[in-house]
Amino acid sequence: MKNIVIGRYVPGKGFLYTLDPRTKIIALLLLMAGTFIIDELIHMVVAIAMIGIILLIGKISIRRVYLGLRPLLFLLIFTFAFQILFNTQGELLYEMPLYYSPLTIGLVALVVVTWMLTKKYIRFKLIYFLIMVALSLFIFSTLNEPFVFGQGAFTVYEDALQMALFIMLRLIIIVTLSTILTITTKPTDLNLGLESVLKPLKIVRVNTEEIAMIISIALRYIPTLLDEANKIMLAQASRGVDFQEGKLKEKVMQIVSLLVPMFIISFKRSDELANAMEARSFVPGQPRTRLHQLVWKTLDTLVIIFAIGFLFGSIYIRVMV
Amino acid sequence: MAIKFERVSYQYQSIDKRGYLAIEDVTLSIAGEGEFITLIGETGSGKSTLVQHMNALLQPTEGRMNLFGIKIDKDTKRQKKVKLNPIRKQVGLVFQFPEYQLFEETVQKDIIFGPRNFGVSEAEAIKRAKEVIKVVGLDESYLKRSPFNLSGGEKKRVSIAGILAMEPDILILDEPTSGLDPMGRNALLKVFNDIHEKLNKTVLIITHDMNTVYEYAKRVLVMREGVLVYDGDPLQLFSRRNIENWNLETPEILKLQKALQSKFNIEIDNYPRSKKALFEAVKEGVKQ
Amino acid sequence: METIIEIKDLTFGYSSDQEVLKNINLSINKGEWITILGHNGSGKSTLSKLLIGLLKARNGTIRVDGLLLDENTVYDIRKKIGIVFQNPDNQFVGVTVRDDIAFGLENLQIEREEMIERIDSFSKKVDMFEYLNKEPQQLSGGQKQRVAIAGILAMETDVIIFDEATSMLDPKGRRKIMEYMRKLNEEGTTIITITHDMKEAVESDRIVVLKDGKILKTDTSTNVLNDKATLEQSNLELLLPLELLYYLNENHVDRKELKDYLWQLSLSE
Repeated sequence: MKNIVIGRYVPGKGFLYTLDPRTKIIALLLLMAGTFIIDELIHMVVAIAMIGIILLIGKISIRRVYLGLRPLLFLLIFTFAFQILFNTQGELLYEMPLYYSPLTIGLVALVVVTWMLTKKYIRFKLIYFLIMVALSLFIFSTLNEPFVFGQGAFTVYEDALQMALFIMLRLIIIVTLSTILTITTKPTDLNLGLESVLKPLKIVRVNTEEIAMIISIALRYIPTLLDEANKIMLAQASRGVDFQEGKLKEKVMQIVSLLVPMFIISFKRSDELANAMEARSFVPGQPRTRLHQLVWKTLDTLVIIFAIGFLFGSIYIRVMV
Repeated sequence: MAIKFERVSYQYQSIDKRGYLAIEDVTLSIAGEGEFITLIGETGSGKSTLVQHMNALLQPTEGRMNLFGIKIDKDTKRQKKVKLNPIRKQVGLVFQFPEYQLFEETVQKDIIFGPRNFGVSEAEAIKRAKEVIKVVGLDESYLKRSPFNLSGGEKKRVSIAGILAMEPDILILDEPTSGLDPMGRNALLKVFNDIHEKLNKTVLIITHDMNTVYEYAKRVLVMREGVLVYDGDPLQLFSRRNIENWNLETPEILKLQKALQSKFNIEIDNYPRSKKALFEAVKEGVKQ
Repeated sequence: METIIEIKDLTFGYSSDQEVLKNINLSINKGEWITILGHNGSGKSTLSKLLIGLLKARNGTIRVDGLLLDENTVYDIRKKIGIVFQNPDNQFVGVTVRDDIAFGLENLQIEREEMIERIDSFSKKVDMFEYLNKEPQQLSGGQKQRVAIAGILAMETDVIIFDEATSMLDPKGRRKIMEYMRKLNEEGTTIITITHDMKEAVESDRIVVLKDGKILKTDTSTNVLNDKATLEQSNLELLLPLELLYYLNENHVDRKELKDYLWQLSLSE
């Protein structure tokens, strides 16, 4: 449960920390839009390089960003493989013959089994996996006798490669940018920034202040609720609930035994909290002053100009070049 | 000994800071019957972490435990062969807030939930429910009621009945009397004393109330910053000079006795542990 | 003496067939420290919720500082009465200590500069200044209650109600909160303590004993602490030295200086 910290605020210094959250949110949106408009690989590489420079100047460790990306690795690999295997448009770039024989299939099966048995001892599982895939392809393509009963080909087309690269790079950019936002902005500031960015929605009668209050209370109570869920689990485990085991019917009962107390406690809590808030003169919908005020600085203006420049630059390149 | 800890430490994992030691190097043993123990210490001193080891909800990150013959150390979690669940039948743990465990529509269903999880037949479990509801000082009519419409004290009793119905050898209660008024507290303490005396079970209570410690317990454990700093007789603990350093208060009975002795030179033999005994001793002392 | 709270014929029930509070009459003076003493379920917390308009009385009136409590005045009355509730976790609104103290001030639309000033000075008052940036998970129950007190002090109310505010704390936390009550009362704040713990009642000026929604007795602390019959009726206990005093009286032990000493002891708790 404590793993829900990916992308959580990490105290630090650097210009990204001093930026106004509104700036960061708007810049994030502009930069993302820009990267979706770019359709040339070389421009994309330039964009990535720019983000690299931002990270460097902002003194953000690449490891943090990687941690943010890690949950998406599977998705990245999957889309990449999907494009390579099924997209057959454009020029044929590469072809590799594959020979199916008892020997090659047997050897590949051996590779798979070795991978399954040994993966838990390997630290860099992804690299290990890729090596194993490469090894399998190598076996299929080189051992062309004896008893070959079938032949196929591993092909890579230009469009496939390009699409795959694009999707991957865009995902990486989006995740990197949002990670930068969340690890350099305190949740309270982020909330304040969001509230202010969403302010135009007031015209369509969305109460942005209330939304902000709800988010802020959620931020305050998530750790408390997680802690409570854990205690309830321990309390029920003390009554013999074995959360690791059980048939379907027992599983349902186990979940009920967690959910009911959770709901009841949360209702009671929200009731008491509402009382406490009202007692301290909170009136929903009434104007309030704010302790935290966002201060717009020259640097913020510069960053926004840069982000707008980036967006227009990418539109210009897309349309004119 | 039913519970044996050998240099047990437990470190909570956390991501940003290095994990912190909740309990450190604790060695103790507890018998499977006939003990009445209190566990005291400030908030955050590791009391709850300690008792959660006793029914194997937590496993030590350092050191060894032996719980009813089952050996547990830091590697136990990875070996799936060791079944921890049966230990929880023998060491019943009641959490501080009954709201953490009550979830069924009726009190009876809630009480039999524990025993049913340990494979007790429904008929037998219901029979037990009828017994334990009386042990905790409520009558059978409560069995049909919803646990959510009870008062705070009654909920607490039902949650205790739910653990008692599992027929544990050792009953552990985390701050069972906090928030109750004097009547409610005394009645509940009497229930624990009955469980201890009549059913001959080992009872362990976490408490902040030194009077409970002094009046009821035969043995007291003091936790301080994760370390077990005292394990022994309550009287010896409170007659030591440095209990203020441990942020402990002197039990009222003892305080009154000491005050009277120093001011009036009244002779009081031994150390009376109950109000009644003290009052009688004072009466006799004054007459002489 | 100036009256700050005046309760007349107050009756309340959650449903039409029950009455949690019956015919409560009570007036509280400015600067007074009053304890409302009662067993679990005696209606004492309900009374505190009625006082700040979280519940609506079925009958009777409440006046605070001359103002009659109704739908229109409830917000003004909440500026005069602050309340510290029982559960430290369920009244901590802010993400940090600073934000939590600010919450009430934001509601009162206090200017930012003023807010910062008040947060600094009142957090110092309850010794939580060094903790301003801490999150609630990093605080003990006692510290959270201190933050709650600072939050109310910052709103500069005339009256503070402590609604079983110490019942979930350990002895150290409890002692500390008691210290602040004492200090605040000395500085002129009207204090209402709601509790079932005799030791918390000892220092107050007057005690109101509640039983099953009715006032059994309202009197000076000394008179109530000494009233065995009333306390027993309401499921409460005498302080130990006084219980001994009663025992000695019943057993016809006469030693005046001993009895005087027992009195002293019970008041010096």
